[in-house]
Amino acid sequence: MRGSILILTRIALLAAVLLAWQVLPASGIVNPVLLPPLSEVLRALGDILQRASVHQAIAVTSAEVIVAFLIAVPLGGALGVLSAENEYFGAIFRPMLFYVFSIPKSIFLPLFILAFGIGFPQKVAYATFSTVFIVIMSASAAVESVKAEHLLVAQSYGATRAQILRRVYVPSMMPILLETLRISMIFNFTGVMIAEMYASRAGIGRLIADWGENFEMPQLFAGVILLAVAAIAFNEAVRALEARCSTWRT
Amino acid sequence: MQHVADMTIFRGQALRPAVEVRGLSHVYAGRDGAVPALADIDLTVPAGKFVVIVGPSGCGKTSLLMMLAGLRAPTSGSILCDGRPIPSPDPSRVGVVFQEASLYPWLTAIDNVEFPLALKHAPRDERRSRAEAMLKLVGLEGFGGRYPHELSGGMKQRVSIARGLVQDPPVLLMDEPFAALDEQTRMTMGQELLRIWSQTSKTVVFITHSLTEAVYLADEVVVMSARPGRILDRVTVDLPRPRTYQMMATDVFGQLRERIWQQIRSAP
Amino acid sequence: MTRPSPRTVRRLIGLGLLVLWEAVPRLGILPALFIPPLTKTLEVLWLDHAIYWAALLVTLSEVAVAMLIACGAGILFGAVVGGVAGIRRLMLPVFSSLYAVPIVILYPVFTAWFGIGSESKIVFAGVYGFFPVMLSTAAGIRTIDEQYLLAARSMGASLPQLLARVIIPASIPTVLAGLRLGGALTIIGVVVSEMLTSADGIGYLVTKNRTTLDSPRVFAAIIVILALSVVFDIFVRAVERRTLVWQTAGRRERPSQAVPAASLPTPAAA
Repeated sequence: MRGSILILTRIALLAAVLLAWQVLPASGIVNPVLLPPLSEVLRALGDILQRASVHQAIAVTSAEVIVAFLIAVPLGGALGVLSAENEYFGAIFRPMLFYVFSIPKSIFLPLFILAFGIGFPQKVAYATFSTVFIVIMSASAAVESVKAEHLLVAQSYGATRAQILRRVYVPSMMPILLETLRISMIFNFTGVMIAEMYASRAGIGRLIADWGENFEMPQLFAGVILLAVAAIAFNEAVRALEARCSTWRT
Repeated sequence: MQHVADMTIFRGQALRPAVEVRGLSHVYAGRDGAVPALADIDLTVPAGKFVVIVGPSGCGKTSLLMMLAGLRAPTSGSILCDGRPIPSPDPSRVGVVFQEASLYPWLTAIDNVEFPLALKHAPRDERRSRAEAMLKLVGLEGFGGRYPHELSGGMKQRVSIARGLVQDPPVLLMDEPFAALDEQTRMTMGQELLRIWSQTSKTVVFITHSLTEAVYLADEVVVMSARPGRILDRVTVDLPRPRTYQMMATDVFGQLRERIWQQIRSAP
Repeated sequence: MTRPSPRTVRRLIGLGLLVLWEAVPRLGILPALFIPPLTKTLEVLWLDHAIYWAALLVTLSEVAVAMLIACGAGILFGAVVGGVAGIRRLMLPVFSSLYAVPIVILYPVFTAWFGIGSESKIVFAGVYGFFPVMLSTAAGIRTIDEQYLLAARSMGASLPQLLARVIIPASIPTVLAGLRLGGALTIIGVVVSEMLTSADGIGYLVTKNRTTLDSPRVFAAIIVILALSVVFDIFVRAVERRTLVWQTAGRRERPSQAVPAASLPTPAAA
């Protein structure tokens, strides 16, 4: 299938979905109270984007996401590199890391609430906690992905440690690092949302939980669309960057 | 049967050639239009002979083998195996051994050898005894219970050969079966293959890149040109059998190799 | 003196944590409200074990149904999307883009539609587990060596035989990986949704006891959930080990990724 045909087909599929979203509730086939027609949702979207309370919520959520990210990534990165470089350290913690991923980390939310109360620090702390493990694992994998042969070649030419770092490690790891950023953000965003929906007085997560509770369905769907678009936009932007850096990968 | 230079006479009667290819051409649809892969191939392989096909990469020798196996149909021309065409794969007439052993990792060695018989729903004990006989033939008696990941590269190829032979086809096709093995294993496997061949009197069509391997194994070497593949030359290898490693150092051996190499090099 | 093996160190760390869990609150280093002593937590768990058991059964039933949905649909769709070249090229990028969206934002929609009972949990956890299982299966399906199919065809296998004797056995490692992933994620999905809005289940116990500041009972619930995850994980590992024979051998490596997509954890941020 040619590239242009693919894109056109996807657009057609999207159009079909959107059409169904409009027609099915509007005609009553699907209960419009439960699933408001697309037009109503879009109207609500326009409406909420003008509310100051929503602007504030967006600001709060964005701040939480950014701060948590800025803590989790360097921290996890450092630990990940450490566990890759130091064999012993890595051997101890690697299996533990795998277990961590099958545990519902949300069960520790009460702990964060007990420690920090309900507010900005609690949500940032929880989101950081959610994210740091995947950063550790990806960073560790990134370091390991640097082929031993490439290092050997550089060393045999007498490259200094700094040079090896700059000229072998960084370009080699760049695609994976970007992928790490992308996936960590997914975890991060999810963590912030869960914290906000669980116990919070501010943020978009809180808003959509409230809208849901009050059966304000058009607003709820509008909020969901907003968040989804933001998440996908970030994801695709980083993916595009990844593709630029990965042209040499087999 | 004794292995003499001319195998088409047995007890005074002319045998039908095992494989006959006439006027075979093949064109396939590439990204930018029709690509001629093979042009006007005429090939006759007498029964019981060991024929090796060499040629540069992409000359279509693998395609030719696929057609001999019934896995692909040529755009024009005909193929006859023992006088009959071969429209679809039939392991009782033509056995195939690929470069990658492609043994199924979830089956033991003996189950892998039995696989073609299992496809035909042959009775259990018949399958088992047949498979065991084949494993013995390839020198792996007692290894039937091993899984592929417990076998070396050479051993895996032996199992693959046993699998190809399990239904006793008169013709065995081999597509660079030793290419993925290291040099020493290759030499050993070559010898093993000749031993198996001499014990079973099959007709073998063998593809390789290695000119040394070709001259060492073959009764006749068929030299193909680059795409579109056509037959440049047929070189008869008159060396006595059983072949030995020492023969590789002789002048005759070197001259044969040189002749083949010149053909490939100077082809347009 | 040689260093202790990593395993020993891990065990020591685990032991150390347990000791700290007991000592730190008792010594007053951290308030007991924040972290009650381990013994107190266990005591409470024992006292109320009937309640916890009942809640666990509810949670387990939700997990079971959600797993059926997530794994069943995930593996099926994954096999199709991954296996059929046209569909893969069309849909796979779409699905992996959708994966970036935190599914949890759909939970209010599900509670509005299905109420706060088990149905909304099941639907949510089912959807939560579906995407990663689908993506993982789609990726894994492609690692089945084409040579296997070629060899089978050269032996005269018919299409049903190809399916039953080659494709299905060769897919089992991928399917198992999908089940493991789906199971872990549905547990996470159910627990998250039970914590958010619910009337029953272990997650609900966590929330309820938190709001009444009954820390020992909160931790008791946490212990039960941890136990559930660990038991599930051990169980799946045991099954995987049985089929290890297939997993180490014969699968084509995907050279372009150091961390294969199939093993990347999914937003287990819950």
